[in-house]
Amino acid sequence: MSELLVKNAYVIDPINRIDGEVMDIAVRDGRIVEDVGPKAEVIDAEGCLTLPGGVDSHTHVCGTKVNFGRYMSPEDMRAGREVRRGVKHATSGYSVPTTYANSYRYALMGYTTLLEGAMAPLEARHTHEEFSATPLQDMMANTLFDGNWGVMKAVSEGDIERVAAIVGWTLSAVKGFGIKLTNPGGTEAWGYGKDLRCIKDEVPHFGVTPAEIIEAMIRACEMLRLPHSVHLHCNNLGTPGNYSCTVGTFNLVPDLNEKRQSLYATHVQFHSYGGSDWKTFCSKAEPVAYTVNNRPQIVIDMGQVMFGKTTTMTADGPMEFNLYRLHHNKWSNHDVELETGSGIIPVLYRKKNLVNSIMWAIGLELGLLVKDPWRCLLTTDNPNGAPFVKYPEIIALLMSKKYRDAEFATVHRRTESRVDLPALDRELDWNEIAVMTRAGQAKALGIVDIGKGHLGIGAEADIAVYPLKVGEIDPAQEYQKVIDGFARAKWTVKRGRPVARDGEILVHGENTTIWVDPKISPERDMSRDPEFTEMFNHWYSVRMSNYPVQDEYLKRHLRMETEAAI
Amino acid sequence: MRVVLTMKKRTNPHIPIEAETINPAFLRWGSDDLTVWEGNKERRLDEVFEIEVEGTASSVNEVEVVLRGDTSRVKRVGEYMDGGRIVIEGDIGMHCANFMAAGTIEVMGNAGGWFARELRGGTVVCHGDAGHYCAAGYRGEKKGMKGGKVEVFGNAGDFTAEHLFGGEVIVHGNCGDMPGVEMQGGTLTIHGDCSRPCGNMTDGRCVVLGCASGMLPTFEKQGEAEGPDGLPLTRFTGDVANRGKGNLLVRRYQYLE
Repeated sequence: MSELLVKNAYVIDPINRIDGEVMDIAVRDGRIVEDVGPKAEVIDAEGCLTLPGGVDSHTHVCGTKVNFGRYMSPEDMRAGREVRRGVKHATSGYSVPTTYANSYRYALMGYTTLLEGAMAPLEARHTHEEFSATPLQDMMANTLFDGNWGVMKAVSEGDIERVAAIVGWTLSAVKGFGIKLTNPGGTEAWGYGKDLRCIKDEVPHFGVTPAEIIEAMIRACEMLRLPHSVHLHCNNLGTPGNYSCTVGTFNLVPDLNEKRQSLYATHVQFHSYGGSDWKTFCSKAEPVAYTVNNRPQIVIDMGQVMFGKTTTMTADGPMEFNLYRLHHNKWSNHDVELETGSGIIPVLYRKKNLVNSIMWAIGLELGLLVKDPWRCLLTTDNPNGAPFVKYPEIIALLMSKKYRDAEFATVHRRTESRVDLPALDRELDWNEIAVMTRAGQAKALGIVDIGKGHLGIGAEADIAVYPLKVGEIDPAQEYQKVIDGFARAKWTVKRGRPVARDGEILVHGENTTIWVDPKISPERDMSRDPEFTEMFNHWYSVRMSNYPVQDEYLKRHLRMETEAAI
Repeated sequence: MRVVLTMKKRTNPHIPIEAETINPAFLRWGSDDLTVWEGNKERRLDEVFEIEVEGTASSVNEVEVVLRGDTSRVKRVGEYMDGGRIVIEGDIGMHCANFMAAGTIEVMGNAGGWFARELRGGTVVCHGDAGHYCAAGYRGEKKGMKGGKVEVFGNAGDFTAEHLFGGEVIVHGNCGDMPGVEMQGGTLTIHGDCSRPCGNMTDGRCVVLGCASGMLPTFEKQGEAEGPDGLPLTRFTGDVANRGKGNLLVRRYQYLE
């Protein structure tokens, strides 16, 4: 029995409606309890800001796509090099660092739970292998279905139950967490040399549109009673004028769930572009934020762009190919059987570049224009917008108009006429930041019930203590203190065990992989469906039996069983 | 100030030594706190070398370092060097003079791979042969050597001056395959032969005074030009496949059959 007491903590815990109360947090065996005995290990928080452990609801840290980013960018590995010391492995890399570097850097920032945003089903095994080398965070993986032939065929036949059954089988086979749609239908169309401009275009040979795929998947997701909603990367990413497509997609979404959103739209910054080409490119964050404000069934994440070097990686292969044609740098596309594809290119976001400056402003506009912080989460879509180590700066930008103005003065001078950012006076407070970086993310992922994202009795003891005295700092003025504070947690406690302290990693931990296993009636069991099995035999280069990930790949795991309505 | 480092006898002379501390800037202040890695063991500099010091120096440019003995396995000598002089009396291992910004390095014997890679300035001379990737960039990097001068009196290996961006590279012997590949600036002169020069070059100037075998078909012939000592050369521009505007001048060439 291990016991821990975090004393004198200035707690902000939005889920339990605690906003700045100095209290003690007692932990026994990895869970938060009422009180502990006198022999408990004591951490003195000294009145510093104490939050639930950070949750990142959309990041790319594990899997073959990330790994291919490493292959492609050996120069990236020249940054961030640290020698092995104590419990720490040697690390290197900046935008696509080693798995250990990811884990340590997240832990130093107080993050304890991560969702890998996109896992191709065929590559699940590799993703789980990298999860086991990400020791200090609990991991989940959203599974890609955007070009799944079985799904598209069922959608064209109008058989939503079959869509749900395919999703259910795949999730439990590959130990995935939720549904990820990346440019639904678009990557598949691109395989035939075609492109889909928006949600009403038809996918060649399948007779379905992205709109139909999205809607069917949302309904299937509710049928399976998955904890998380559909996680959507909209069509037409990164093209001028794509905001109308984004708004159109949002307007499709029915409100089907009382507890959480029905659609999680990811990196919306990349989908809020106006203009008709790169010369007339401008921000359309306002109409997008307006739509989000009016549709409570939608949660978005910012996908903030920060200046500097990074590597973009997405299952949206066509988009990456178009980016490659702009940059003429390195490029890779990757075909992953019949479910999805992917593309990777390294990029450098520059302040001197007008388009990059506008992109930077759009992310912040979304963060400020969406009124409810529970519905606009703080991410960079690591590493697409920027590596996650930039989160503290983004927090400071959202909290300080002064900092925003100071940064705005350094970007491309023509940015001002294309964006609304200088007109926005809103400054987020500590509570809103806590929502955007942990409570809101845990709620959107549907993992509050398993004890994530809050500090109530019975919650997992994931605690982050930051060296920030809330009463003594004015975040609007002293933004540098905010950046420094969030960049280096005083203590990070994971499952009741201190894992990081003042920039030092203390233990070599072991994570929990959280996966979802929908319980489907035997007559809808896809592994016994002759047509589904035949699809593998006829069209795939691998057999159906290649897909299921064996238990050996999951060291320590939490299976979330759901009672599916089929 | 003159510092003479003589390699001591080693039990296993094949184990490489990582010696980025052999740099006039560090040696100027004495060798007490300097270490090198021999395989996975960290050693004090005087465990590996006999050290003789004569005189003092008021600036780094007055420091001369001499390496003696079997130094063919000593790597990264002169890394980030910014002044002074290093003379290597025998062979030298890989990555010698990488990132060097100023000063002089003279190698009397042969140099290993990655000789003078990513050079920023200064002069690097090798009297013997240099290995592969001499005066080149590094894995994944877009810009290689940006300035300074590299002169090799023997032969150089494959990928000489790959990703060359500035400065001057002279090879008096032959080069291997693909010298000047991805060149974006600077000049490369090869007195001997080479094969497939300058693929994907966008800018810069490469002169081959011997024979360029396996000449790439993506270079446009522009006519005649005059080389050193009135040698008639054929001038090409390219690489057309990369919309490049580099100059490639060759004495003789033959396309791949």
